[in-house]
Amino acid sequence: MSAAKAQLISTLRLHFRNTMALVYSYLFPTIFLVAFWMLYRYDKVPLLRHMGELLTVTALGGACFGLPTTLVNERERGVWRRYRLAPASSLSLVGSTLVARYLLLLVAGLLQVILAMAIGMPLPTHPFGLLVSFTCVVFAFLGLGLVIAAAADNVPAVQALGQCLFLPMLIIGGVAVPLASLPEWAQRVATFFPGRYAVDAIQKTVSGDGLDTAVFSLAALVVIGTAACVAGVRMFRWDAGERFVARGGKGWIPVALSAWVAVGVFAQTSGRLTSSAPTVEATRAPAPTTSPMASATATEAERAATSLPAPASTPASRPPAPNPPSPSASPSPATPSTATPSSPPAAPAGASASPAPAAAPPTAPIPPPGPASWQDVTVKLIDEEIIFTRLPPDGGVVTPVAEADEVVGDEYVNDLEYIRTSLPQWAPAKVADPLQRVRNLLYVAAVPDVFQSPLERFVPPIVFERLRADVPEDQLVKILYWIAVHPMDGDDKAVDQMRVLGLGNGPSDMNETRQRVGVYAVKLLGRVLGRIKASPSGW
Amino acid sequence: MDTPATVVVRDLRKRYGPIEAVRGLDFDIDPGEIFGLIGPNGAGKTTTIECVLGLRQPDAGTIVVCGLDARQHPQAVKEKIGAALQTTALQDKITPREALDLFGAFYRTRTPTPALLERFSLVDKADATFDSLSGGQRQRLALALAFVNAPTLVFLDEPTTGLDAHASRELRAEIARMKDDGYTVLLTTHDIDDAEHLCDRVAIVDRGTIIASGTPREIMNRSKARPTITIETTVPALDRLEGVVPLLEGVVPLDGSGRRLRCRSASPAEAVRVIAGILEQHAIGLVELHVQPATLEDVFVELTGHGLGQPDVQGPAGSEA
Repeated sequence: MSAAKAQLISTLRLHFRNTMALVYSYLFPTIFLVAFWMLYRYDKVPLLRHMGELLTVTALGGACFGLPTTLVNERERGVWRRYRLAPASSLSLVGSTLVARYLLLLVAGLLQVILAMAIGMPLPTHPFGLLVSFTCVVFAFLGLGLVIAAAADNVPAVQALGQCLFLPMLIIGGVAVPLASLPEWAQRVATFFPGRYAVDAIQKTVSGDGLDTAVFSLAALVVIGTAACVAGVRMFRWDAGERFVARGGKGWIPVALSAWVAVGVFAQTSGRLTSSAPTVEATRAPAPTTSPMASATATEAERAATSLPAPASTPASRPPAPNPPSPSASPSPATPSTATPSSPPAAPAGASASPAPAAAPPTAPIPPPGPASWQDVTVKLIDEEIIFTRLPPDGGVVTPVAEADEVVGDEYVNDLEYIRTSLPQWAPAKVADPLQRVRNLLYVAAVPDVFQSPLERFVPPIVFERLRADVPEDQLVKILYWIAVHPMDGDDKAVDQMRVLGLGNGPSDMNETRQRVGVYAVKLLGRVLGRIKASPSGW
Repeated sequence: MDTPATVVVRDLRKRYGPIEAVRGLDFDIDPGEIFGLIGPNGAGKTTTIECVLGLRQPDAGTIVVCGLDARQHPQAVKEKIGAALQTTALQDKITPREALDLFGAFYRTRTPTPALLERFSLVDKADATFDSLSGGQRQRLALALAFVNAPTLVFLDEPTTGLDAHASRELRAEIARMKDDGYTVLLTTHDIDDAEHLCDRVAIVDRGTIIASGTPREIMNRSKARPTITIETTVPALDRLEGVVPLLEGVVPLDGSGRRLRCRSASPAEAVRVIAGILEQHAIGLVELHVQPATLEDVFVELTGHGLGQPDVQGPAGSEA
């Protein structure tokens, strides 16, 4: 009891006297924080959506390097051999070392939250929940640290083994690189790594709905941590010369890793993935949910981009707008609950009916002789030209679209409501030319996406809702197609009128912005035509 | 002995895989004595000590410490033993005062830190970090740590290894003082001087078994090793002495000049008298002559066929590193 306390105090004291340890524990996480801040500088609320990643990196660093480096260094010196001469129980000595490390990580985590708040992040939505999830994360990773300490014969080996866990987890484990931007195979692999569960559990308490929504991730962390701690304690070596002679030895490493496999397999088979993380939604990728055409538009966009001067010939002209703004005419009501699920599974069907991926290349090289103006577009043409199965996923980084039932963070509800109510009065949404009007409104979706604003997923549904209310469906379909095929045409001054909607003005890269408009046009088009499965409650 | 022995070890055995490091060791340590386990690296000394300390589980045998079965009551035994193991380094940034406080917290009974700092001359360095201590100061700290629990029995594993002459001399004085204070001490060493000058009794360990034990003098007396006579003369005298004096066994030249010779004799006093007579008879001047009694090293070589400094190739690699 008092042995554990003395050891705890000694460990903490020595930590703060060790420059390298301080660099690892506090400087590195701060560097990560600054890097994330710069990387996501367009986020409206700094770092809020990245605390899960930041705190996970901190915990991972402390566990994969900090703990085992100290343990192995002390073991090599004979400190642990010396401890063992004393009648203090091994559990209290190892336990107090882990507790000390937990406290150190708690300080490091707190420092990160404080720094982030100093930069402008609001208080986490569930501070107590954050403490609980951070504790689970640290528990899981400290177990891994113990295993590393037991498996490594010396400090350089700790570095090597630590990197083996750290780097993959950072890069393809959903810790430093958002899962949604990873290829599907990596997202699947990530389900076997504890990192993504750590990010999810923390993020849910920082900007989400708290612990209740992170049960699976928390359970995964506890399972992984328990297996690792058991293995780490069984493999614990007091003496550098011991080299597994005494105990079961390296046989315990598979035990620790089997928890990863078990969690991954369970996650894959139980379909828990969808609910496990907002950032992670895309993992539902088992494909049926249709990631509609992407490259079709992309190639279109590219084509348009490369032939910039030419397309101006068949531009948005100034079509006479048969029916001007007549909300009543549109099929969709104001509430986002229309549910036009007329063809929910039709998406894949429509997808396969259309030329499908194989046909994409032909589309690209042959510039569509196409109609002369948007009024001449037909649905048949649309189905021939556009591959709805090759769009970037709605849960991804590029052109995200929130699902209808996706919960909006409290801090954004007002912003979104403001956009919703301002749109009808927004000047660019009232221009006479329906083609330009639709373009302007689509910019409202594209600009936050380019800025990676935290609102980016939630604005498109509002824009789609407004468009369907504003433009009769038969016109809307034609115009959306036209914009998709000619994203570089028309006027883009609307991007400088975003501020009145509470959004950022003028992205510098207009090519990029226009391409996003093109993709959003296809995403809406697919929904209006029933080629893309609308989300459960549809809009 | 009337009082029960402090440590009783019977038929201790321990193997590492195919290597039998300790094969049937027996020894007793009596209260208040300094007992030495002597042998080359790899002979099984450290393994033996580690088994008694509870750091390793022996494969077989009985270990009783202060009346307690060490295998049944390892924690209680640890309370009674203070130990300074070889190659114990502490964390770079810990100070002697903190280290003594920390280790003291592990035991039920303990010696106050100031008293230990005083006794082991560490007062001046009490708040210096470990990485700034000299080798001798580190060794004194290791000894001080062995006394934090006010032990009845002190184990010192190769205490003089790696110390310079000065620190080594200090340490010997310290060990002699432990004896005066009534502690029972077990030390292992491959330094024959330590054993001869510090220990009340020694046991010679070779390849996992004890091949001789007793007081250093008893062991030397039992040995067939003869005292050595070294002679230096003004002119070469090998021809004159070799084979002439029946008292001398195997006269060997010590260098190319033939003026320095060494031989052994069971009765050195007689031999010296005869040598002096022969030299005088041939008018050979005597530069130097001295007689060296047999040492433990001689005994060891006699018993094992190899020297103390040579590691025993059969020993478990690394077990005493």
